[in-house]
Amino acid sequence: MTLSRRQLVVASAATLVSARARAFSDASLFVPAVAQHAGRWDARLSGLRRLAWELQRRTSIEVSLEVKPLPLTSPRLFEFPYLYFGSDGELPPLKTEEVENLRRYLTFGGFIFADANDASDGDGFDSSFRREIARVLPQSPLGAVPMAHVVFKSFFLLDAAPGRVLRKPQLEACTIGRRAAVMYSQNDVLGALARDESGGFEHEVVPGGESQREYATRFAVNAVMYSMCLDYKDDAVHLPLIMKRRR
Amino acid sequence: MNQQPFDTLKLVSLSPLPTWALVAMCAFAIAGIILATLGVRREPSVVRRWLLWSLRALAGLCALFFLVEPGLRRLQVARVKSRVAVLVDRSASMGFPVEARGATRSAAVADALEALAPEMEALRDKYAFELYGFDPELAPTSPGAIRTQPARGGRTDLLAALRSATAGSNSPGGRRLSGVLLFSDGADNTELGSGLSERARQTLQELGVPVSTFAVGHSGLKDLAIDAVKVDDFAFVRSSLTAEVEVRGRGFRGETVQVVLRREGQVVATRQVRFTSADDVETVSFTFTPDQTGRFVYTVSVPVFPDEAVTENNSRSFALKVIRDRVRVLLVAGRPSWDERFLRGLLKSDPNVELISFYILRNTADNTGVSNDERELSLIPFPMQEIFDEKIDTFDVIIFQNFGYSENGLSIAQYEKRISDYVKNGGALALVGGDRSFGESPVRFGALADALPVDTAGAADLAPFKAHLTADGLRHPITALANGSQTTEAAWASLPAVPGANMTRLRPGATMLLEHPSANVDGKSAPILALWDYGRGRTLALMTDASWYWAFTSHAGGSPSHHYERFWANALRWLVRDPDLTTLQVVADPSSVEPGRPVGVIVTARTPDYQPAADAQVKVDLISAEDGRAVASQAGATGPDGVARLEFPPPAPGAYRLVGRATRGDKSLGEGQDAVAVRAVGTELADAHVGTALLEQLARLTGGKAFVVPRGSLAEVPLLEPPLVEVGRAKDQPVWDRWYWLAAMVAIIGLEWALRRRFGYV
Repeated sequence: MTLSRRQLVVASAATLVSARARAFSDASLFVPAVAQHAGRWDARLSGLRRLAWELQRRTSIEVSLEVKPLPLTSPRLFEFPYLYFGSDGELPPLKTEEVENLRRYLTFGGFIFADANDASDGDGFDSSFRREIARVLPQSPLGAVPMAHVVFKSFFLLDAAPGRVLRKPQLEACTIGRRAAVMYSQNDVLGALARDESGGFEHEVVPGGESQREYATRFAVNAVMYSMCLDYKDDAVHLPLIMKRRR
Repeated sequence: MNQQPFDTLKLVSLSPLPTWALVAMCAFAIAGIILATLGVRREPSVVRRWLLWSLRALAGLCALFFLVEPGLRRLQVARVKSRVAVLVDRSASMGFPVEARGATRSAAVADALEALAPEMEALRDKYAFELYGFDPELAPTSPGAIRTQPARGGRTDLLAALRSATAGSNSPGGRRLSGVLLFSDGADNTELGSGLSERARQTLQELGVPVSTFAVGHSGLKDLAIDAVKVDDFAFVRSSLTAEVEVRGRGFRGETVQVVLRREGQVVATRQVRFTSADDVETVSFTFTPDQTGRFVYTVSVPVFPDEAVTENNSRSFALKVIRDRVRVLLVAGRPSWDERFLRGLLKSDPNVELISFYILRNTADNTGVSNDERELSLIPFPMQEIFDEKIDTFDVIIFQNFGYSENGLSIAQYEKRISDYVKNGGALALVGGDRSFGESPVRFGALADALPVDTAGAADLAPFKAHLTADGLRHPITALANGSQTTEAAWASLPAVPGANMTRLRPGATMLLEHPSANVDGKSAPILALWDYGRGRTLALMTDASWYWAFTSHAGGSPSHHYERFWANALRWLVRDPDLTTLQVVADPSSVEPGRPVGVIVTARTPDYQPAADAQVKVDLISAEDGRAVASQAGATGPDGVARLEFPPPAPGAYRLVGRATRGDKSLGEGQDAVAVRAVGTELADAHVGTALLEQLARLTGGKAFVVPRGSLAEVPLLEPPLVEVGRAKDQPVWDRWYWLAAMVAIIGLEWALRRRFGYV
């Protein structure tokens, strides 16, 4: 999707307005943190940056545009409650310390957005991630996310979770209590947002083209919004209006 | 020897034979008569047959006469006096006037007794009149005492008085009770208060003596009264409850009066009530919504009219304990943030919290990139008017988290006064820092600034820091992350440093619990956590947007802690004045006091670490809730359990607050308060009616007679006759041993024999 001139002007204004806020530190911002594992973890850094930019443009969330790579054993993981976890290809087995640190991270409130950059299904990242997340959260296996889940209405009203591809429309999640601590897409969501150095989109989006790219962007925004607001849009005050709009 | 003459004759049998022998011989004589009758049954002449039957019957009677040996017993006897119990109602309602501005009912009874005195004197040889007052215990009294000593009984229990008066009346050796004269207004407010039950009827019938009643007082008195208030003992804050009030109007037919419900002097609601008959009870309902927890005294009242018989029953007070169901929290976040996310997660997981939240997800500068907001976005307008104008009083706590906007549609400037008033009237407000809060906000608070414990003091300090506990923070329940001051200090020291703080200045009277370790404002440490009481409410200011570090970042080291959860739970409990977070509890015991009874109060003092404070000096003031004037003070010391019990002499009727303070050494243990209602009238004085109908029923059921004072004469009063008891001599005089009885018997037998012979039966 290309931006109109008007949208560009508004977006620039939004950037200027948000720049006026004096964030205390990264603590009060959305920081696009990415899990630095032994696989090809950095395949979607530009997509992450683009996600932060889209959040800044479209929502009131204040962001840092700088991607923060974090080793899985780092204690600094606990300063960034949103963690992007992707790989283009197989994910090597995690070390025990990494598993334990991730388990603690997720248990005490962290959120992982897992994204199969290789759009694999049953092999590559898909099979290896399923194997590793089962080690991290053995009590909370991945399960299908119903369409009624708040992630589909946390900001945009959506009825699918597309990415660069539409291999598997079904989103999956590991739930701790009532909170989805891990959300997993096999559609390479941030692949739809990734840009090359010249500013153009890095990948084609199939099969829906630019429209699908927009919905992938919206879904990525919704996932971040969910990580920051949890089930806010399931509050009783919102439901009547949302139900009416969904009709 | 001069003996008194015999005064009574009695026919007796003087036969020495035992009774069984007499019975056997009587049977024999009767059999003889029957056989003789059978013997002549075929006699064709009816005259002859009857003549023979009659002569045989007469002969049989003569034989029986000689067998029984009748005689006259001359007796000298005397009567024993019976008792007549005169019961006089000494309940407080007997102090009501018989008629407006007239003599009291008790005085009317005294007059009636004095008027009956000559008749009693005339009956003194038969009856002993014993005068008792009952309240409801029986006690001997006199007309003079009835006239001069005010009636004080707290209830009228006619049945209990009658039971006491008749108890043992027929026991051997005791004087027999011949009747009861009952002088009362009939305003029974116990067993017979709602009429005569089947059980009561049975009890009355089993008394065995006639009860004659003398009703005193006019039923035509003019009187307005709050007869009853039906309301629960407790209510939930911000949930409506209904009090049903029964208003009785006598002599107010066709008139409308106003009924007012007040809470400690403040009008809560008013209702109109119209009476449709001369003696009418109307029920009015007050539905109201308590907006604050605690115990409060409510008073229902009707106006006092100049010609009313009783004015003390025109109001009635009751104490209502208002408790919290769940803490209703309004969380307003300036934008999605991790601080908001962790606070939401905490509040949503707490079953004692009902969370209502509004986050600004998009401001006016944002471009969502959609063509149709309605269809593509889940956003709703921020309903400020509804929240801050209409429903603000439904919240226990309002939290503004990094919220500061100047744009139309997001600015709360026009609601600041309303929010400030909400706090002043008992609400709670928490302001959490961030890049849209305090000095970083694009707008400055106006009216709301007065409610805050801090003023803004320039730009934020962005250096990471670890908050330091102040001396107040070491003792305060909000910052008590562990048990005991040392472990609390260690708990705070273990928390990670947070990045940046809003710079503020502590306002005079505010309390600082956490301070910045290095940043100063006006030469003093910059506050990080400050609070105070504002009006009847409380406010708290937290000058960081990274308290979530205490929830999440603190787990980086691998040692789980619940300091964040405990901090916010403590903060909420303090904001809503959770009784468990007060070091001094003052409780009225009981919360509603009958007139003339002392007011009791239990004070429980605890040290800042919530241990019982033994030997603490306690002082409690009894303060009128109407005008705020201190009526009395009591002081004492707590025992080993930290509890002191004090008692105030009976105060005047009304609503009071009990405000207590405790100190140990030179240290204050805090302040607590409660409310107590001292009722204007008890049940007894609440109703001036005369139960003439009840007294008539009593008399009818027991065989007595009902009178209305001053009418009534002992000549008309049914009384049981006193029994006769032999006290003197007896002399028997035979009447059978006369020659003519014998001659008559021989003549009858001879005549019968002669006739039988002549008629051919011998």
